[in-house]
Amino acid sequence: MRNKRMFMLMIGFILFIAVIGFSLSDRKELTWPEKFLKDSAAYVQQWFYKPAGYIAGFFEDIGNLRRIYEENEQLRITAAAYSRDKIEYNFVKKENERYKEELSFTKRQKQMYNYNYLIAQVVSVSNDANNRTMNINLGSKNGIKPNMAVTTVDGLIGLISAVTPLSATVTPITELNEASPTFNSIAVTIMGREDESFGILSSYNKETNRLLMTKIAENDKMDISDTVITSGLGNVYPRGLVIGTVESMQKGDFGLTNTASVKLAASFDHLTEVFVVQVPELEDAGQ
Amino acid sequence: MSMNRIIVLMLLLFVIEGAVMPWIIPAGFGNRIIPHFIFVAVVFSALYSGRHLALLLGVSFGLLQDIVYFGHLIGAHAFIMGLIAYYTGVLLERRRATVMMAISIIGFACILYDSALFFIYKVFRITNESYAWALIDHILPSLFLQLAFALACYVPARRIFESQTKANSEQDEE
Repeated sequence: MRNKRMFMLMIGFILFIAVIGFSLSDRKELTWPEKFLKDSAAYVQQWFYKPAGYIAGFFEDIGNLRRIYEENEQLRITAAAYSRDKIEYNFVKKENERYKEELSFTKRQKQMYNYNYLIAQVVSVSNDANNRTMNINLGSKNGIKPNMAVTTVDGLIGLISAVTPLSATVTPITELNEASPTFNSIAVTIMGREDESFGILSSYNKETNRLLMTKIAENDKMDISDTVITSGLGNVYPRGLVIGTVESMQKGDFGLTNTASVKLAASFDHLTEVFVVQVPELEDAGQ
Repeated sequence: MSMNRIIVLMLLLFVIEGAVMPWIIPAGFGNRIIPHFIFVAVVFSALYSGRHLALLLGVSFGLLQDIVYFGHLIGAHAFIMGLIAYYTGVLLERRRATVMMAISIIGFACILYDSALFFIYKVFRITNESYAWALIDHILPSLFLQLAFALACYVPARRIFESQTKANSEQDEE
């Protein structure tokens, strides 16, 4: 009896290692049982997540009633600034289009930064401390693909890691890790000095809740409380998504480059709508 | 209580755990207090129903969790949940646990479960944090949530799983 139990345990352990090895391998797509399970779970969970959010939001709103006046004031100022900037933006945009025409940009180059924002609902959040993924209710049928960036109004929160026909999984940026085999690094720059600054977000330190930005040139004029945005270099992630603010700068490991710690702009609690940034198709990249 | 009813209730618990609990946990604690209600239910089934049912429920719901929230690897929850549930069942096979005993066993099982998960992720180098930090950051805070949940649903859970065993043994006698 005892031998049988040991035997079963060994078989279970081997099976477990095999399944982990299979899931860790560089898979392009999920298998169909996974897709089916994920889709049906997302379908059911969306009935629960949204009403729960409404109820929680109602109580939060009552608490926030007093702050509304201040917020309104601020919003009015922002709206005024926006309408001023919008006029300038339109002029610059027109001019830019004309230049592109004159310099005979290819169609691909013109379309490159024409991002499309898809609004998605979060339907569930993982209950695993080491793997805080979220599921959203848009899938490959809506044009979602792996590695698309996901943002809220505050800033970047993560990347799409797995896609099924009706839902997709978002891996939060807090899982960013150099040593991890499943997540890529993100190239970033500083808002206002996009062509001068450069850095790479390589890992997230959970103990201090800060992102680590590495490979900053020594003569970089990056300063504390600058806003960090994605640079779009490499054309995998879109450019211009806010990530956070620089909080402190240090010398790097070998003294040749600097590192900085970045405080995230977005919060991961009580998320409702998120935006998936759809980068235009670059199939004709060879032209 | 039939097996189907138990599975439906646990599926409901799974949905609530992923979709409703993030709203109930106050903002700012989302990464620190993490519900493991399915695991608590599986340990209840080990305490009051039997090790084989617990193993079955643990492996299947662990796998469901692994697949639905797939981020890095599949199988960790399934293996750990099944293993802990089975050995809880083996340890307490001939005894009927009282409230205090059940709650303390669930507490220990939760710590063991979270620690085992942490070390699996550590072995595959998905986390770099130290165990002491993880213990303070999320394992101990979420333990209180699990204990509160276990205490709150002790009576219905015990009734459901005990009646399941009774129904089973009656069927065997027939």
